[in-house]
Amino acid sequence: MISGKAIRSPANILPFFFYLSKIANPYIRVELQGVRMVNNIKTYVARRLILLLPTVLGVTILIFAVAQLFDPVQRASLYIRDPKQLRSIDEVIEKYGLNQPIYLQYFSWFSQVLQGNLGWSQSLHMQVLDAIITRFPATLELALYAAPLTIFLGIRLGKLSAVKKDTLIDHLTRAFAIVGWSLPAFWLGIVLLAFFYGGLGIFAPGRLSPWADVLITTGEFRVYTGLYTLDAILNLNGAVFLDALSHLILPVTTLTIINVALIMRIMRSSMLEQLGKTYIIAARARGLDDKKVIDKHAAKNALIPVITLSGLLTAGMLSGMVITETIFEFKGIGYFAAHAATQLDIPAVLGFALLTGIIFVIANLIVDLLYAYIDPRIRLA
Amino acid sequence: MKMVKVKGRFRGGESPRIRELAFILNRIRRSPLSIAGIIIVLFFTFIAIFAPVLAHPQPNRDPYMMPRYGFSPIPRPPGPDFLFGTTEGQYDLYYGIIWGARTAYRIGVLVVAVSMIMGIVIGSIAGYYKGVIDEVLMRITDIILAFPALILAMAFVVAFGRGLDSITFALILVWWPSYARLVRGEVLKITAEDFVEAAKAIGCSDFRIMVRHVLPNTIFPLIVMASLDIGSVVLTAAALSFLGLGAPTGYADWGQIISLSRNWITGAPGNPFAYWHTYIIPGVFLFLFVMGWNLLGDALRDVFDPMIRRR
Amino acid sequence: MQPPVLAEKEQLKVQDLMVRFYTYEGIVKAVEKAKLKLRLGETLGIVGETGSGKSVTALTIMALTPTPGKVEGGNIYFRLTSGEIVDVLKLRGVELLKIRGKEISMIFQEPNAALDPLYTVGDQIAEAILTHRLPEMLERVNQLKKKEADSFLMRLPIFRGIFEKRLLNQVVREEIVQLLRLMEIPDPERVLDSYPHELSGGMQQRIVIAIALACSPALLLADEPTTNLDVTVQAQILDLIMRLKQRFGMSIIYITHDMGVIAEICDRVAVMYAGNVVEVAPVKEIFKNPLHPYTKALLESIPKPGSAFKSIPGTVPNLVNPPSGCRFHPRCAYAMKKCSVEVPQLKEVSKEHNVACFLHGDA
Repeated sequence: MISGKAIRSPANILPFFFYLSKIANPYIRVELQGVRMVNNIKTYVARRLILLLPTVLGVTILIFAVAQLFDPVQRASLYIRDPKQLRSIDEVIEKYGLNQPIYLQYFSWFSQVLQGNLGWSQSLHMQVLDAIITRFPATLELALYAAPLTIFLGIRLGKLSAVKKDTLIDHLTRAFAIVGWSLPAFWLGIVLLAFFYGGLGIFAPGRLSPWADVLITTGEFRVYTGLYTLDAILNLNGAVFLDALSHLILPVTTLTIINVALIMRIMRSSMLEQLGKTYIIAARARGLDDKKVIDKHAAKNALIPVITLSGLLTAGMLSGMVITETIFEFKGIGYFAAHAATQLDIPAVLGFALLTGIIFVIANLIVDLLYAYIDPRIRLA
Repeated sequence: MKMVKVKGRFRGGESPRIRELAFILNRIRRSPLSIAGIIIVLFFTFIAIFAPVLAHPQPNRDPYMMPRYGFSPIPRPPGPDFLFGTTEGQYDLYYGIIWGARTAYRIGVLVVAVSMIMGIVIGSIAGYYKGVIDEVLMRITDIILAFPALILAMAFVVAFGRGLDSITFALILVWWPSYARLVRGEVLKITAEDFVEAAKAIGCSDFRIMVRHVLPNTIFPLIVMASLDIGSVVLTAAALSFLGLGAPTGYADWGQIISLSRNWITGAPGNPFAYWHTYIIPGVFLFLFVMGWNLLGDALRDVFDPMIRRR
Repeated sequence: MQPPVLAEKEQLKVQDLMVRFYTYEGIVKAVEKAKLKLRLGETLGIVGETGSGKSVTALTIMALTPTPGKVEGGNIYFRLTSGEIVDVLKLRGVELLKIRGKEISMIFQEPNAALDPLYTVGDQIAEAILTHRLPEMLERVNQLKKKEADSFLMRLPIFRGIFEKRLLNQVVREEIVQLLRLMEIPDPERVLDSYPHELSGGMQQRIVIAIALACSPALLLADEPTTNLDVTVQAQILDLIMRLKQRFGMSIIYITHDMGVIAEICDRVAVMYAGNVVEVAPVKEIFKNPLHPYTKALLESIPKPGSAFKSIPGTVPNLVNPPSGCRFHPRCAYAMKKCSVEVPQLKEVSKEHNVACFLHGDA
């Protein structure tokens, strides 16, 4: 699912965009905080980078706080790299100071995290960090296909429905958006699976068909990046490429249908906002034809908030689409997190949440900087 | 919007309040989607309220647990005995769906209401007193908002233990920051206005100013946000239940019910859609519920937007 | 043989223009049977309160009526630079685009809002030039190309393309710099490459004017261009406009609610109220001998130090349900019974002086 609770909330329209921009748009956010206005791009960038540190710390604190909801014995697995250590729990508790006052605990935990020790996952039988690293490419592959498609389609549809406001096309695309937005992701996935896999026998769940898996185990197919479509190209193996691709189709479709709605609505409202502005009338008054006015002027201005949103959307996808991966048995970090959660595997879930938080904070930063770069009003303030 | 000659059936009287109401009703009347949303929401409200009548609870049993009629895992299709058929484990699907509406409302309304209250309190304090308090509170909301709702909720649920109560609590913790930010933004805007200075000068207490002047102005965006959120909350809760983190098996919760259908989506040999009712029916209800609230929220937003602009 | 719609020296004739806006609250009858005439090289002022329909009329002259507005009737006859006469309201597509920016241009009230924040001002001026004066620019490029015709690079098509592009850029830039100098903008090279928000209000407005005059239009529509500027800057811009008018020889329609500006730069004035043109007269006439009660009230309401502040009683009417007959009658001190029943038409009362009022002539 998309991340950032705010995104799942009201979409389309000015008020929502305003709320979102309060969160994502640094310019407005700075204003609201009553802090002095950004004076120039350098102080702005510096400020954003400096803010990065406390935010990341804050994320870790939150995760740590959730961890504190468990008793020391349960928390022990957060600190160990080897399940054998669990046999001597008291030693572990001593070593990492699990009985000590909170701030000391935080430091000891944090230093462990910095050393790459996110604990041991009992449900996966491996170190949490290893689990994340090995599972991440799958999610990356999924996001790599789903995100651009969603963004591209969303922008196209949003632009179209804004330009052709109140016509049939507008109503159709808006209806599609509302339906897509209201669809439960897990349900859409199930229905698609039932129809294509159950009904037509194509697009099975999982990342690869069994025969391809065999190729990997025997070593005939070498895995370089973990992204199977990419690896297939590197292996010059067309069959595996097609197989991996076909397994991607349903999950990507599910993700796209649900998230296109969001981008589309923001783009539409942004376009409508721009189309009402004086500079558009001025552009028309210069004799520019409709196409130029829309593409060159309105759309470009309208894209600015959409880019912010797209960045966050991509971050959301990179954080693992728990539901989609679970339904399609696509073994990425989302799948593993869901699995861990049902097993009450604390270190895994917390490690995953920590990763997600950090991805988001970084994505926010990138989006902020991008924003500043694109909009000359901020860049050259 | 489409150019239509307007002669609304609702004519306002002289009173501005009535005129505003007439304006709102006129706007809603004009949009078929809004009307559809209202009808859907009313439909589900009706089902939720009259659940015990529509699907009699069994005696000596938690009414939220679906009745079982056997132990065979194979779901039975809809028929004269069971209006919607049964799902895996022979749970009565019709019962589950009807009471599921209640569950949905319970979670949705509870989470949104509590989040809103928390958000109002915290947001007002942050926006009104500004300074360090504001910075600290906003940092906290930033951090919570830095996580995707589902994932953070998952983390909380793992901590609190499985169950609907855990989900509710987790979702409240995840959802309140957006309300806080919204309220804070509005409060900042309004306290910048002169009439607040004037009120202070007369000697109104802070509390009084906040309640009588600031809050009424923030109501509209809050209402819009809340109605759109109910859909999102219910979806997220259903997702958590689907994953197995929420209601126990057999509970009347739409997400739970759909998770029971997972093994049956491939159907029976020769008939791939033999068990369509196990996933299609509950899914449609969930979808309609969310869509109804989304449409309603959209409608409210459309109505309040020009009103906000008109001020 | 039909007489030509426009007399020999006429630039523009607006006849029976009707513009309606279809909104939620009802149908706004924004402009009702408006009549305007403009001579070649004349400066016509349009005065009126907010809601009088003056901006809508101006935009409609370029067929840019903002949605949800619709032109419901009337003609707008315009004489092109070539001498040909067209009805703007009947033009479509390419024909219309050829007129906007080239024959008729517009400058706006808020210069900051009239410029696209994402493009440099040079880019935006270039847009106007490249849309309408491309052949001329290409001709110049050809001239320059001839000088390099034999160089080695020119033999290769790729390089030639790039080279031509660069030449075009150069040519256009030169043209823009000339234009900016005309606008009395210091350091035009630097300004060219600036973004709108980097410039002051006065500068921005000069840019907007530059864009409008880039293709030497026959008619310039000025929609309150100085209202949002500082008073000193206002004077500068007004001066500039007048000088440019001398130089380019265009006709101007100047919209404002400031009678002082009217007195300074206009030859004739049209007074609009609630979508109707109620009085048209040469500037001196209007000030000396205002005939329409609204005009009189307007002139009286100009604050004069020493005398009491006079305002016009009542408020601007709701145009969804405008008053019957003469739209001014509810606020008029001289209203007769006839005024609430019949709509007075614009009639010539004395030389060049037209009024729409039952007090004067049989309207």
